[in-house]
Amino acid sequence: MKFRIRRLRLKNWKNFTEVDIPIEDRVFLVGPNASGKSNFLDVLRFLRDLVSPGGGFEHAVNLRGGISVIRSLAARRDPAVEIDISLAADRDEWQYLIAFSSEKNRKAPVIEKEYVRRNQEILLDRPDEHDKNDPLRLTQTALEQINVNRPFRELADFFGSIRYLHLVPQLIREPNRFALAYDDPYGSDFLYQIAKTPERTRARRFALILSALRAVIPQLKEIELRRDERGNPHLDGKFEHWRPNGAWQNETCLSDGTIRLIGLLWIAMEKGGPLLLEEPEASLHPAIVRVLPQTFARILRQSGRQVFVSTHSPDLLQDEGISPREVLLLNPSKEGTRVTPTNQDNLIRAVLEGGLSLADIVISASGPDHPEQLHLFQSS
Amino acid sequence: MAVEGIVDEAVAKRLLATVGVSPGLIIGKRGKDYLLKKLHGLNSSARSFPWLVLVDQDRDPDCPPALIAKWCPNPNPWLCLRVVVRAVEAWLIADADGLADYLGISTARIPFQPELLSHPKTDIVHLARLSPKKEIRTDMIPAPHPDSPKVGPAYSSRVIEFVLNYWDIDNASKRAPGLARTLRKLRVLKNKLAHDHP
Repeated sequence: MKFRIRRLRLKNWKNFTEVDIPIEDRVFLVGPNASGKSNFLDVLRFLRDLVSPGGGFEHAVNLRGGISVIRSLAARRDPAVEIDISLAADRDEWQYLIAFSSEKNRKAPVIEKEYVRRNQEILLDRPDEHDKNDPLRLTQTALEQINVNRPFRELADFFGSIRYLHLVPQLIREPNRFALAYDDPYGSDFLYQIAKTPERTRARRFALILSALRAVIPQLKEIELRRDERGNPHLDGKFEHWRPNGAWQNETCLSDGTIRLIGLLWIAMEKGGPLLLEEPEASLHPAIVRVLPQTFARILRQSGRQVFVSTHSPDLLQDEGISPREVLLLNPSKEGTRVTPTNQDNLIRAVLEGGLSLADIVISASGPDHPEQLHLFQSS
Repeated sequence: MAVEGIVDEAVAKRLLATVGVSPGLIIGKRGKDYLLKKLHGLNSSARSFPWLVLVDQDRDPDCPPALIAKWCPNPNPWLCLRVVVRAVEAWLIADADGLADYLGISTARIPFQPELLSHPKTDIVHLARLSPKKEIRTDMIPAPHPDSPKVGPAYSSRVIEFVLNYWDIDNASKRAPGLARTLRKLRVLKNKLAHDHP
């Protein structure tokens, strides 16, 4: 069964006091620094953490520094944090809702409401009788428990298939300098993920990546995974060279841009749930950024994944195949960040109808109000 | 060369490859307004360096010579400024056999005089709707919403694929006189280049 997120409603989640928006298959998040693009993606990571091995509700909350960090600073009257997500799967319509707050005395996170619905059928509605008899049950979601989640396990599996990627090339180059984390999105474990892939799949993906990269990094002739004497995987690239057989270089010699491109293409080829990409334009040449939306559109049609991209790049938004519905504008205010699909913003709609492109307006509309203050900064 | 976007870039590269010159520096790819703003600067450098500049006429009521006179009244000898009638997609539709082959549709469906089409880009999207290939339809056709863009999510990528692998320029120039003139102009410039800078 293939789930698609169709609507997201948030209350008091980090910078978002109140959000209620439709979600397309491809989503671009734009907004000034610190407007909450990463926090928006973090909602989906939170759902993933609920069901991932070694995860669970309490872990997911603590990983983020506790309820007081998760709860919107702008929240005043209504202290519960709420995530309400609607999904489509084949012909079914699903809903998962979780609301939680902190227990008054213990400060531990407790579930106030958990609700699962498929079409008209309510599969879960907590708190129920059992919860009333044993309040400790409200420190765990039904979603994370395999003995309870049977009627909606597909949904739990779907949340578990959400993948976040924010490759930090330094972590790939020097994995030994950093503690390895399971499924680490920043990439220290990226090479282990590649190494875990069956050899034939890996070879096929490398061949595809190489053929894609041939046009943009023509010097790169081969990519290979090699294990050193301690068994640690390394990414090797063979570059064209004046020596007749080329020269092999390990990943310390691949540039930031090359590593990030390989990572993006690799992850886009994986089958799975929604893909969350943090500023994929980083360290890439604008000419390459310019074709990223096209690249994703084609790869994702094949892998069938939904993709969420946070970006500051006008080159990326220059693509004429991007629909205003796919672009979510994040505007910080004292009452928390507002999220508006650009097709619902009257000014943007008018300007688009006037013939300007999304890139012309969205980046300006999502910029800080007073950038000039930065260069007026005085260090003494 | 200087172009409006990535589709035009692919077309311009094929044009230059056909006449046998390399594209060199590629400027623009930020839309038509940007290109027109840079035109004065490009023309200055065309005193000594050859430039191919492709601009779409789009819905402008003026004809190409009038537009050239307006945008660049004193073109330097090395400037090859071409205004494509309506849009560069017209030149692609002009290779009816190639486009029919790529989309998997009948040649009879392809408009015969593409430079008379008022929205050749929309026409390519319409032709893609007829394609029996689901991937092509998914990539090229926009979602059915009133505020959708004119083209599908991977439209440019598909058109570029066509330009690079299917587009027969000689065949296309038979049905697109503007394309034929552009090729002639480029060949003249190339010969002049060989003569002046052997």
